[in-house]
Order: sequence, then C-alpha cells, then structure tokens
Amino acid sequence: MPRSGDSVVLARFPHVLIDQDNVAHYHGLLEQRLLINRCADCGYWVYPHRPMCPSCWSDNVIATEVCGEGTVYMFTLLHRGREIPGVDYSGPHPIAAIELTEQKGLRYLATIVNCPNQDISIGMPVRLTWLDRAGVPSPAFVPILNTLNPG
Amino acid sequence: MSKRNPMGDKVAIVGVGATAYGRRLDRSRLSLGLEAAKKAIRDAGLAKEDIDGIAGTGSGMFAVGEANFLALQEGLGIREITWCLNAEMTQGILHAAHAVFSGACETAVVVHAETRSPVLSASAQTEPLRVRAMEFQGAGVRPFGDYAQGWIHSGEPYAALAGRYLHEFGVPREVLGLIAINNRSNAVMNENAVLRTPITMDDYLSARMVRDPFGILDMDLPVDCGEAIVITTEERAQALPKKPVYIHAATFGEANRGTEYYENVGDYRAMSPWVAMAALWGKSDLTLDDIDIFFPYDGYTINAICFTEAAGYCQAGEAWDFFRENWDETSNRLKIGGKTLVTTNGGSLSHGRSSGFNYYTESVLQLRGEAGARQLAGCRATLIASGSLYHDPSVAILRTD
Repeated sequence: MPRSGDSVVLARFPHVLIDQDNVAHYHGLLEQRLLINRCADCGYWVYPHRPMCPSCWSDNVIATEVCGEGTVYMFTLLHRGREIPGVDYSGPHPIAAIELTEQKGLRYLATIVNCPNQDISIGMPVRLTWLDRAGVPSPAFVPILNTLNPG
Repeated sequence: MSKRNPMGDKVAIVGVGATAYGRRLDRSRLSLGLEAAKKAIRDAGLAKEDIDGIAGTGSGMFAVGEANFLALQEGLGIREITWCLNAEMTQGILHAAHAVFSGACETAVVVHAETRSPVLSASAQTEPLRVRAMEFQGAGVRPFGDYAQGWIHSGEPYAALAGRYLHEFGVPREVLGLIAINNRSNAVMNENAVLRTPITMDDYLSARMVRDPFGILDMDLPVDCGEAIVITTEERAQALPKKPVYIHAATFGEANRGTEYYENVGDYRAMSPWVAMAALWGKSDLTLDDIDIFFPYDGYTINAICFTEAAGYCQAGEAWDFFRENWDETSNRLKIGGKTLVTTNGGSLSHGRSSGFNYYTESVLQLRGEAGARQLAGCRATLIASGSLYHDPSVAILRTD
C-alpha cells in the first residue's frame, strides 16, 4: 500500500528492495515500530511480506505491529561479510533468525546485542531493541534475562 | 506428487566436455562455456549442425556477462535452434531432457560456466576484469541494505542451519568434517581437481573459521571452469559412438517455507531435498541398493548431510552414525554398504565449484568406464542430488544398460 512519503523511505533505505508489498514495513522502521503484514480476516502473519494471505487467500493484508518478543531459532557468527555501518567482524558479528511469539515459523532476521557471542544459544528468549545504523533505525534483539538465575 | 515417468530411460546423455579447473584461468565465462560445449559435441560424435537446443548459464533471457544461450549460439556458429533457456545450478539439464522428450528439440547442449566470482572469493576482488564482469552479471555484491533482506541467496543461512542441525540432533562438527574429508580423498585421484592434498579431521577442525560453525573447508572452492553435456533421444543415442547414459528418473522439488527469505525455513525434515527425493523415488523402481555412486550436493557440507538423509540412506539426524559405520579406513572415504562411493571426483569442495554440474560429467565418465584411475568397476547407476537446501534442488538417477 503506497503512502505519501514513500520517496523519503526509498531515500533512507537506498539498497533495500522496497515495493508496494513491504513499503509499510520500512515506514514502520523509521518510526521504530516493527510492522509485519497480517491477514485482517484470518489473523495469519504473512512474512516475507506478501500482498495476499497464503492461508485464506484474502487480499485484506495490513502491516501490523508485533510485540517484539521471541526466541533464537538459528544463528551464525560471521568472521567476514558485507560492509555494514558500525559492524566489526573481528567480534565476530552475530546474525540470528528470531522466531517471533506471534506465530510458529514467523521469523525476523537481525543481530543480537548486549550478549557475549558465547552466550548466544538456540531457544534463548530475546526482546526487540533498536540500533542506529548510519542514522537509520535498525531492529536488533537483546536477551531477556532470567531473573531467577542471574548467573 | 506425480509418480508418472514417461520420460524414464527415453532420453540419454551422449556427450560430455569440461575445461580445466583453476583458481585463475584468466578467461571469460563465455570462453569457458564455448570450450566445454565444443568438447561435449565432439565427444558425442556430432557436429554443430546437429544441435537444435541450447541451455546456457544465468538468469533471465539475456544473462549478460554469462555463457548465455544467445552468446553460445552465435559463438558456436549454430545457425538455427528451436529450444533455448538459461538456467542456474544443474536445472538446465532437466529442462533440456524435458525439451528433448517433448520434441521441442532433438539434440540439446547444456552449458555451465563459472568464474571465481568476487561474490564468493575475497581474493577475486583484487582482479579488475572479474570485478567489471560481476557488475554486469546480476549477482554482484549489493551494498548492505538491511538485515531483513540479508539472507536472500546468501551463504550465511547455510551456516546457521548447520548450527541448528548440530544442536537439534546433538552431534559434533565432525559430521560435517567427514564430508570434507571424503571429497578430498576422492579428489586426490582426480587429476583435474584443484585441491588434491589429503586432509585429516585435525586439518578440518583447525581450518580458519568463516561463518561459525563453518570453517573454510565447509565451503566449496570458487574456480574458473566450464562444463557441458549433450542430450538426445534414446533412438539417436543408440546410433552414436559412445555408450548412452540414460536419464532413468529426474525431478525438481520445492518446499514452500524459507525458499526466498531463508530464515523462515520450515522443519528440517520438510525442506526441499525431502520433497525432491520423495518425488524421485516415486518415479523409479530402483532402490539405494542399485546406486553405485552417490553425489550429494556439496556447495556447503551441510547440504551433503541433508541430501544423504533425504535420499533415505539414514533418518534425519543420523548421518554422524551412518557415516562412521560406512567409513572405509583404508581409503579414508565413505564406502556405503561396502560398495557405494560418494562424490568420486571430489565435488565442489575439492574438484571445484561448478554448482553441481561436474556430478553429471563424472557420472557419465564412470558409467561409460572412462574414469581412469578412479574408475569404479562395474558402475551401472548413479544418484545425483544437486541443488540448494533451501530451494529448487534437481535430482536424477543416471544408468547404463
């Protein structure tokens, strides 16, 4: 659904494939809101962003904010990779598929912050946070600390 | 899922050709493709006038900078064709078989050419001609856009999936290492392989880490190479000089989750390799016992694990036990059931990356009895399981009479 201000979004994300089906997601990022397409008829979350619900074939798909909580489904630690503003691969740099709590199999790709690499594990609960990447808000995830077992 | 197989054994591979494999041959992709095509057509005992179908390399009709069908036809001087296509991986082979079987053409040449791309090889980024070609080839290194689109056709999710596999099934990294060792042990016997120094498990474990849990030996070797095969009808094949190699059964396979945005992949046991292998066995009366050489895709070591399990050699997650039970200590490689060899040419990991095409040329040499020092005596059938874990594998059983 194109909106006014699409040219602003295109300018802020010059290297991302932005089209009618995902432009709302990128509007959301600029407002630090994580929006995922969702079927307004059956409630199915449609990701990657598509214009039609693959479950019920409704065209009534609306970008909807997720709560931002999830778990690590899989991850890799990158010792090299494409140049990303502010990223140092000597870390190495973690990238994780985060399974969002809204729906089984609904995953969003992001880095993990405020967590030593050796502590990242599959199944680890995480929560959305925001990084600044060259002036553009970028979703990232931080561990949800287990207060019963701080060690 | 269709079990029909009217094409079974009705289409044959009658010619193969390959260039040298090398890290730096200083040649264009078209140059490599032309050489391989010329060799394959001559190997078949045919002339350019006999070719009426061409599958080139690349995506889309134009595939600029690739060994595409437009450039190949003109470059080979083939006046008229009635079927054409550009394809990636080994998919053009199956499409060409379908075209020959349907009558879209009579005899097709399928060409695959690669160069060590700056996308895959950091050292290639210092070579200006490679960098310039890449800018036009469509698969260039895009600047970072955002994380969400970062895994579309990236190598990173293969590492993440391997990490999840090791976690889910509670097996050590060494399961990946056995694939790397097997392929290297086989490459030692292949004079055309780029990497021919034997490796040990210690070598594997101490190799430079790139994408945890992948080290440098988990990832295929980018090279310059060209490969081609000629496909025609059963009738024509029987009139040609070389022993025909029949495409006994072949299929694509595609799961519906995580095929573009890989992080959304479904359960490991429902990924594309399982779809393809189930469809293949549905089309064939052969079983794994009939297979003499198995070629599981080895662009990354985890792919070979997944294709081994999807083929039915063992259950999901059992490759670690299976490989150790079927390991031949003498030759330091897999010998399944004491007889079936795996990736006899060294595959993408050690022969060099040809996106799976060299499984076909190696199969044909083995099935004809022309594989020289590494010939498997009495080779009658091979199973090729080529392609990505995440999307569109193409799998085939090749056999001779």
